[in-house]
Amino acid sequence: MNDGGNAYDVIICGAGHAGCEAALASARMGARTLILSGNIDTIAAMSCNPAIGGVAKGQIVREIDALGGEMALNTDVSGIQFRLLNASKGPAIKSPRAQCDKKVYALRMKHVLEHQDNLDLFQATVTGLIYKGDAVVGCRTNLDVEFFGKTVVITTGTFLRGLMHIGKNKNEGGRMGDYSAKTLSSSFLEAGIELERLKTGTPPRLLGRSIDFSKLEEQKGDADPTLFAFYDTRDSFDMFHVEHHGESFAGWRPGSDPVSCWITYTTEETAEIVTRNLPLSAMYGGEIEGTGPRYCPSIEDKFVRFEGRPRHMLFIEPEGRNTNEYYINGLSTSLPFDVQKEMIASIPGLEKAHLLRPAYAVEYDFAPPTQIYPHLESKKVENLFFAGQINGTSGYEEAACQGLVAGVNAALKTRGDAPFVLKRYDGYTGVLIDDLVTKGTQEPYRMFTSRAEYRLLFNHGSAELRLLDYAKRYGLLAESRIARIEQKKTQIESSVAWMETHRVGEQTWATLARRNDGDRTLPQEIESLPKPVKDETLYRVRYDGYLKRELRQVEKLNSVESIKVPGDFDFLSVSGLKKECALKLNQLRPASLGQASRVSGVNPADISILMVVLGKRK
Amino acid sequence: MEQVDTIAAVATPKGESALSAVRASGPDCESLAQAIFGRKHALSPRHAYYGSYASQDGEIVDDVVYCFFAGPRSFTGEDSLEITCHGNPLIASKILTDLIARGCRQSDPGEFSRRAFLNGRMDLTQAEAVMELIQARSDRALKAASNQLRGAFGRQLGVFKDKLLSNIATIEAYIDFPEEDLPDEQLEAYVKGIQELMTFCSRLIDSSQYAAFLRDGVKTLILGEPNAGKSSLLNLLLGFERAIVSSEPGTTRDFLRERIILGPHSIQLMDTAGLRKAQSDIEQEGIRRTIELADEADIFLLVEDSSLPSPTLPEPILKRLSRENCILIRNKVDLGNESPSTLPVDGCSSIAFSALTGAGLDSLKSTLLQLIDSSFSNDEDDLILVNARHGVALQDLQACLNSALQKLEAGDAMELVASDMRGALDAIGSILGKIDNEAMLDVLFSSFCIGK
Ligand SMILES: Cc1cc2nc3c(=O)[nH]c(=O)nc-3n(C[C@H](O)[C@H](O)[C@H](O)COP(=O)(O)OP(=O)(O)OC[C@H]3O[C@@H](n4cnc5c(N)ncnc54)[C@H](O)[C@@H]3O)c2cc1C
Ligand SMILES: Nc1nc2c(ncn2[C@@H]2O[C@H](COP(=O)(O)OP(=O)(O)O)[C@@H](O)[C@H]2O)c(=O)[nH]1
Repeated sequence: MNDGGNAYDVIICGAGHAGCEAALASARMGARTLILSGNIDTIAAMSCNPAIGGVAKGQIVREIDALGGEMALNTDVSGIQFRLLNASKGPAIKSPRAQCDKKVYALRMKHVLEHQDNLDLFQATVTGLIYKGDAVVGCRTNLDVEFFGKTVVITTGTFLRGLMHIGKNKNEGGRMGDYSAKTLSSSFLEAGIELERLKTGTPPRLLGRSIDFSKLEEQKGDADPTLFAFYDTRDSFDMFHVEHHGESFAGWRPGSDPVSCWITYTTEETAEIVTRNLPLSAMYGGEIEGTGPRYCPSIEDKFVRFEGRPRHMLFIEPEGRNTNEYYINGLSTSLPFDVQKEMIASIPGLEKAHLLRPAYAVEYDFAPPTQIYPHLESKKVENLFFAGQINGTSGYEEAACQGLVAGVNAALKTRGDAPFVLKRYDGYTGVLIDDLVTKGTQEPYRMFTSRAEYRLLFNHGSAELRLLDYAKRYGLLAESRIARIEQKKTQIESSVAWMETHRVGEQTWATLARRNDGDRTLPQEIESLPKPVKDETLYRVRYDGYLKRELRQVEKLNSVESIKVPGDFDFLSVSGLKKECALKLNQLRPASLGQASRVSGVNPADISILMVVLGKRK
Repeated sequence: MEQVDTIAAVATPKGESALSAVRASGPDCESLAQAIFGRKHALSPRHAYYGSYASQDGEIVDDVVYCFFAGPRSFTGEDSLEITCHGNPLIASKILTDLIARGCRQSDPGEFSRRAFLNGRMDLTQAEAVMELIQARSDRALKAASNQLRGAFGRQLGVFKDKLLSNIATIEAYIDFPEEDLPDEQLEAYVKGIQELMTFCSRLIDSSQYAAFLRDGVKTLILGEPNAGKSSLLNLLLGFERAIVSSEPGTTRDFLRERIILGPHSIQLMDTAGLRKAQSDIEQEGIRRTIELADEADIFLLVEDSSLPSPTLPEPILKRLSRENCILIRNKVDLGNESPSTLPVDGCSSIAFSALTGAGLDSLKSTLLQLIDSSFSNDEDDLILVNARHGVALQDLQACLNSALQKLEAGDAMELVASDMRGALDAIGSILGKIDNEAMLDVLFSSFCIGK
């Protein structure tokens, strides 16, 4: 490596959750890949909470696994408590979540990168990009070493001009203890890529032995953990665990020996302390210009906006098995350090708690994602891809799934192949990317199931089946696994058919299953199926009508989705199209007619007209 | 390539035609025709059949002529069905509504032409010419829709939408944020919320412009001095005695509404109290009402006694008159002593008339038809579209709410209840414009304290 020239196919800038998936995907597809990070001790660092998954996010992690990504396995290996959320609310929205051992998570991911063929890892901060005409050809680093590549993927997270606030105190950095990437931003501006500011925050961390757990409510994990990776279609239980290094794996199962989380509440005193000190908060005191998320309010926000609420719930979550550090979920703030101490002392169980790290808010540059195509390449600069928090998202899972898509596309681009574009009906990853590139975002974008119009199609167990065609087309999974998924698919289809045709008395098993009378015993033919097959079969049978309804909508959408808009298409040249609409579309440059139809202000008549004009072109 | 469903639209020929056409295109046309007209056998293509159009709930809507075209030998290149009914917008609209209830989709603007083009039945120059029309037409339809939504109906819908959003936000909050410290889930509260929405929804359906349009038709106001012969004119047009006729001025104190069908149009006639300096309070009141009515009227029939000098009209009424919406009726020509008259507005038609003998009636009818056709019928097509769409949307809305309620009561999964509630939101969205998920999230985050 380090040999200059056009050495690499793909260069990844940043080794966070997006960067790691991007690098692995591209290298696994055979592209010569380099991943750079300013600090390789913080690879795949969990900057905020020590957990992966949750509602919608858990489904994303399973999609990542179905597309050959690493996050699911990494979570299963480093998970120290697993819980299935929404377990009683309906199968489509059941979502796996895990508390992870942060250090183990990061260490294993580093190990995976180190052992990946076609992948080089190197510590250097990217200080600028090297352009040739309208394309990127490489990057400069703080070490005065330049790297050249056919494509470059930017996954720099919160690091671009990252600025952290604790009250009036300010520190530069993408997260506490890490650096700030100060010069890369100007390299984007130079190429005409616009940047804006966003902000997010993180709560304080406490020392466990200073917490009085007897005053807290215990929250245990599920006895029977729901894992993220699909094991029924894998060759062997091929994971490894850093904690178990050198030992035989026999006997160890992910999710074993879970640890607990704890629950406590803020008090009236906490509210009083926060309200009294509001002017000192970075956010309320006007220190911060970036927009923060609605769904992740700081404790200041909570007390101001929901004044009448007597208390707010806090989760005390362990950061790992081998550390005594605890994360206080629910207490994000940018109040000064001494106020934080006072506030924490007012909370039951935390009266004597010792702060290991204060809470802080961070502001950073992001590149509004309407500037990229659905395959995540820049519209301005060829061969330049963007993924992760730089695109205005928030969350490890949101970053990772984009990284995977960007990595695949960068590799495809080097071969001159057509891009990989997920559709809104393929899964949450498709919804996420389509929302970003079509509508942009005003706040750090987080996935919710309500963002998906086809939520019922996105049950977590079906990820492999939904994404099978892509995995096959781009060679993202081992042949043997593809074969097993196909087998599973056939088995599910025939079991569904069996239930629809076999009768008990007057009715088919399917009709009986659709009736909502609890746990009636199933026939041996179904009962004896492997659990993933049985679950999916029953899901399809029970939800048959709804799934069909959503599929019909999908088909309709697909008819416009499949009409591509050529890159050089001038909407102003279309007679009959309203001018304001044409201008808007020219600016956004949608890749398909489907994407155009989701732009606000574009109406069905406009789409009709475009259909005719684009129909002419082919 | 395109996944094809069956679309339907009113294709009412403009102008003097006394017939309306409703057409459908897509794979279901033949089976639709069989179901509607109770035919067991295949239809021969391009053959005009005569039959009674029976709607899904069994009502005979009209006697019609229908014709089935087998693709590709049709305008769109797909199987098509054309139904020609009597030229009354009510009927066409009922047929369209019924076709939609049977699973057709109201066509997008220009969709018939688009399909024709994509199926190679139209060349590009033709298609591009059509496109210009599509845009113009869709702009008009949008205008018609937004005019409708400006009124009370639109306001009520807005209130309804807000209520619906807050119900949905509550359900979505429980789905997306199970970890949050939300108040306990309360099934009864959801049920109550949806029941309230349903009551509201039925009220909306009753009061919707859709119903009002079907009820009202073109609003035509009969104006004139007391004793000019307004009531006599009304009775003549109706063909029977409705208004009390007397030679005592001011008899028709309040106003009367009656409906007649004229050519393809449904017309609502409104007879008013006479316009003159009122003696009594009651008359005063009647005149005030007349001025109010003039605000909502589309067409004005100005009746004057041709033997007397033309009266001066009150300013608020004069302002509403134009050559496009006003006919001067010079009544009582049978008396034979015409005094010179002045037109209320330049260029408006004036008809020599006698309510007693019926002289001038044919001329009045044809002038009226012309006025309505030229100033109205273009928009009216769009209005039918808009109204049929609203009607269908409101019915969808009701069905979705109903289904959500049943599921809640049966204890089904929340995600299914949510799916129906979104259906309801989409239905409202098809009237008010698409409601983005962001709007729901705004309500959600402002009503619940969510976040870590
Ligand atoms: C303070 C804070 C609070 C957060 N709170 C939440 C929360 O409450 N909920 C939530 O879901 N998510 C939260 N997040 C977000 C979550 O951490 C990120 O969304 C996620 O880690 C983004 O992944 P990424 O891969 O895009 O970037 P990151 O994980 O930020 O990784 C960026 C990587 O790029 C490298 N890098 C950056 N610049 C350069 C350069 N110029 N040259 C070389 N390498 C570079 C860095 O070293 C790092 O490896 C928070 C993040 C922070 C910092
Ligand atoms: N000679 C004659 N009398 C008429 C004619 N039209 C109405 N009248 C009479 O005029 C009087 C007033 O008519 P009416 O319709 O009540 O007038 P209104 O007050 O305008 O409603 C009645 O006695 C009618 O019979 C007409 O065309 N010729």
